[in-house]
Amino acid sequence: MEGRLTLSAKAQESLLAVAIRHRVGGLSLDVSFELTKPWTVLFGPSGSGKTTVLRTIAGFVRPDTASVVCGAPKRTLLDTGERVFVPSHQRLVRSAAQSARLFPHRSVRENVAYGMEWRSHPADEAQVLREVMELMRLTTLADRGTADLSGGERQRVSVARAVAAAVAFDGVGKPLLLLDEPFAGLDGVLRDELAVGLRDSLTRWKIPVLSVSHDVGECYLLGAEVIRMAEGKVIEQGPVEWVLERERERLLSRLS
Amino acid sequence: MDFEALSLTLRLAVGTTAILLVIALPLAWWITRGHSMSRAVVQAVVALPLVLPPTVLGYYLLVALGPLTAPGRWMMHLLGHPLAFSFSGLLIGSVLYSLPFAVQPLVAGFGGVDAGYIEAAAGLGAKPAKVFYSVVLPLTRSSLLTSAVLAFTHTVGEFGVVLMLGGNIPGATRTLSISLYDQVQDFNYAAADRTALLLLVASLVALLVIYLLPSLRKMDGRQADIVR
Repeated sequence: MEGRLTLSAKAQESLLAVAIRHRVGGLSLDVSFELTKPWTVLFGPSGSGKTTVLRTIAGFVRPDTASVVCGAPKRTLLDTGERVFVPSHQRLVRSAAQSARLFPHRSVRENVAYGMEWRSHPADEAQVLREVMELMRLTTLADRGTADLSGGERQRVSVARAVAAAVAFDGVGKPLLLLDEPFAGLDGVLRDELAVGLRDSLTRWKIPVLSVSHDVGECYLLGAEVIRMAEGKVIEQGPVEWVLERERERLLSRLS
Repeated sequence: MDFEALSLTLRLAVGTTAILLVIALPLAWWITRGHSMSRAVVQAVVALPLVLPPTVLGYYLLVALGPLTAPGRWMMHLLGHPLAFSFSGLLIGSVLYSLPFAVQPLVAGFGGVDAGYIEAAAGLGAKPAKVFYSVVLPLTRSSLLTSAVLAFTHTVGEFGVVLMLGGNIPGATRTLSISLYDQVQDFNYAAADRTALLLLVASLVALLVIYLLPSLRKMDGRQADIVR
């Protein structure tokens, strides 16, 4: 295994450039990609290493060899060759894990507001909070505790919490939002409405997103750039129609 | 009843508990998050008063805080009196003696906090200190109370260290447990009865609080949900 991974010159213009080599369990992860579009989806079957990629970017995993460079403002978050490791809270990244992990001692509203609490100018805090709560259809749940929420409701609170933290960020640049299966456990129509609403709002707020999904419909709805992964490798990257059409061809060719 | 001893014991226990919480919170958090080697060493040192005869700890403190050693002389110069045989000296002894009782429940509590909560908070941009007091502490409130109650009651009940380090000076270092010893030595069993009963009941109440805590906390949670 090489000591260093080098990123292409194009990486300088991207939102985020990632290169990871890592062995975890039976999986040998070897990926490198750049984010250039407002919303990118890591797409692939479970066990293909998508979550590990997200957790590496968030700073929860230290891979064997990796480099993660944030685009604007440019900053190296992780470089195993140079022994650079920026801790999670200092990264221009806000994330929501696949398991919701809502703070049990806080109400739904207090959970969503958590990431806004250390801003220096919380003038529009109430406004942002209200918008995010409405966006994720949480307004009627606002004062409830988290103990008896359904799985889908918990997931919505978790996503809302990360979105609010990203929108409320008041430093230089915009945080990258990392969402691991943000619409898991949500039913058809509600999921579609939430996905479209979230896409539109985040575009308006100019917050870039990297999400994880194994759902084709979700990728189409988001109109996202798709990075297709399988068995720890990036198979291809491109617009959703292009990547998924290739996937369809491959499946059909197997049938004939 | 020796009210002077009662008041002194309460002051000592309150002071010790307050100092212990300030020390034990970061120490327990560090032990929970620490690496294996340094963590084992610190845990062993912290747990030492659990197995050490109190007189041994008292003896070393007596020597260390007395005028025979450099730190002892320095403190004497600073305070105008030696730390040994004084209330401040007793406070230092009590803090060391009760340290494991304050630290252990916190280590157990902190260790039980799901790492997912800590990651969730860090992923929202919370600094480690913020994660500690806004997520970890609220999730371990019962451990915090257990730690405080144990530190308090253990200080009330200490005898060997106090005797070695404090001597038996009324109003300065004569605590209830020493006063009880004196009363028995004087064949004043009526007074000894009252002192012993007070210590027994107080200790029992403290333990009841700890053991009733889980059910009280559940009720808290239910009510909070309903109110909200």
